[in-house]
Amino acid sequence: MPKSKKILLVDDSPLILKIIGQALEKDGFECLKAGNVPDAMEHLKNDIPDLILSDYQMPDIDGFAFRQSLMAIPEYRNIPFMFLTSIADHDHMQRGMNMEVIDYIIKDTPIAFVLSKINNFLNSIRERHQRTIQELSSAAMALNLYSIPQDAPAVDGFDIHFWHRSYQNYPGGDFIDLITIENKYTFIILGDVMGKKWGAWFFSFGYLSYIRAAVRLCTSEGDLSTKSIMQKINSVIYLDPVVSGLLSTLSLIMINAETHTISYTGAGDLPLLYYNKAECSLNKVSSAGLLLGVSKDGGFDEHVFTMQPHDQLLMVTDGMIDKETPRGKKTDLKEFENEVTQYLGRADSFQDMKDNGFLNKKAQEQIDDCSLIFIQKNS
Amino acid sequence: MILQTNPLEGALQATVQIKEGNMALAEQFKTELLTLVDNGNKYIIVNFEQIIYVDSSFLGALVSALKHAMNKGADIAVVGLNKDIKSLFQLVRLDKVFKIYASAQQALNGA
Repeated sequence: MPKSKKILLVDDSPLILKIIGQALEKDGFECLKAGNVPDAMEHLKNDIPDLILSDYQMPDIDGFAFRQSLMAIPEYRNIPFMFLTSIADHDHMQRGMNMEVIDYIIKDTPIAFVLSKINNFLNSIRERHQRTIQELSSAAMALNLYSIPQDAPAVDGFDIHFWHRSYQNYPGGDFIDLITIENKYTFIILGDVMGKKWGAWFFSFGYLSYIRAAVRLCTSEGDLSTKSIMQKINSVIYLDPVVSGLLSTLSLIMINAETHTISYTGAGDLPLLYYNKAECSLNKVSSAGLLLGVSKDGGFDEHVFTMQPHDQLLMVTDGMIDKETPRGKKTDLKEFENEVTQYLGRADSFQDMKDNGFLNKKAQEQIDDCSLIFIQKNS
Repeated sequence: MILQTNPLEGALQATVQIKEGNMALAEQFKTELLTLVDNGNKYIIVNFEQIIYVDSSFLGALVSALKHAMNKGADIAVVGLNKDIKSLFQLVRLDKVFKIYASAQQALNGA
């Protein structure tokens, strides 16, 4: 479900705030109301609206001064701005238009007409936006740039699935990679660059290049320790000013197809969730490592364990455990564990999570891009 | 301004004046914090008591600022975390990266 569009309405008349506010809410908008410019600035600190609809004539700070102060703040200058006024004066209108105001609505315009104007404008923005994302995504695909693989590898003795949803169709900072070496060692990589949208997506390629190189270099030298691979990745990222400006989590797993052992090292990542079929219990496997690039040493450790038949292992990024609640946004791993447990322990657990809506429900609740990797040991 | 500063004895307290630390505000938060470091403050106590949620980009901005501070011989401590945010810090091991205190006074005593 797309979230409702948010409009910040600024007017010193309580009556106008009430009438237009109600009309906007009735039409499906979320309406933030401010009776003066300082109140409007307070709202902006916590919420960036899709549109600002502001009166021109207000005591103390008028609409023009408000617009001017917004234009001086990079985070606010591109919020679409419409003037709502009772003055039908062409000089005033021209002055407003010169301040990159998108429209000028006279207050006695019938409310239905005002709503149409706002809807038309927001629709045209959305269409333009979608077109741009589509063009950029096509360009990325043409360049063969994927931060999420197309298919999971087949590993003897294991079932591996992954699931990823981008946030509002933007590519984000989550990245997944699966590397199989000599049909013996499968490396599973899950990371989250700590930014969002395009910036994080762009940097995820920088990170992935280093990770792939470190995996190949270490394994070619006979070093199969996930800890030493992680240390190599970390030391390069720590020293590289291009990628060290943004930080990333990383979970690195290696499945050894001969011994059926799993090695795991993490960097600032969420714990792995291990479902023990025999005990019907979900346990956390927590790593000690810090986020990539934070410190030269990183403090990494390595867990080596063997999965028993029908045991399941989940890797997730924080988008899976973030959610909106009536009291605001929240990060809650415990609740995710409780929710996911009911699907675990069956032969078709992953399919069930997909088909019975658990993953789609997560996607609807999401406030970030989210990824889950599911590994199951076969009998 | 996202940060409201007030000097304490031997430190600068920077109170984050927003409820939600998210991507839209992360860059501005980072810039303001970097400026405080560049202005020569050696011990900055970032007060989170007004914040109810932070996302990963906001945490990333905080860690980037700490890296910058350490390169300049400065330090950043964090105070006033609510229960959820404190758990998040522990979950992703940021409690090993930052000095975390309950209050600015404790941060001063621990400095």
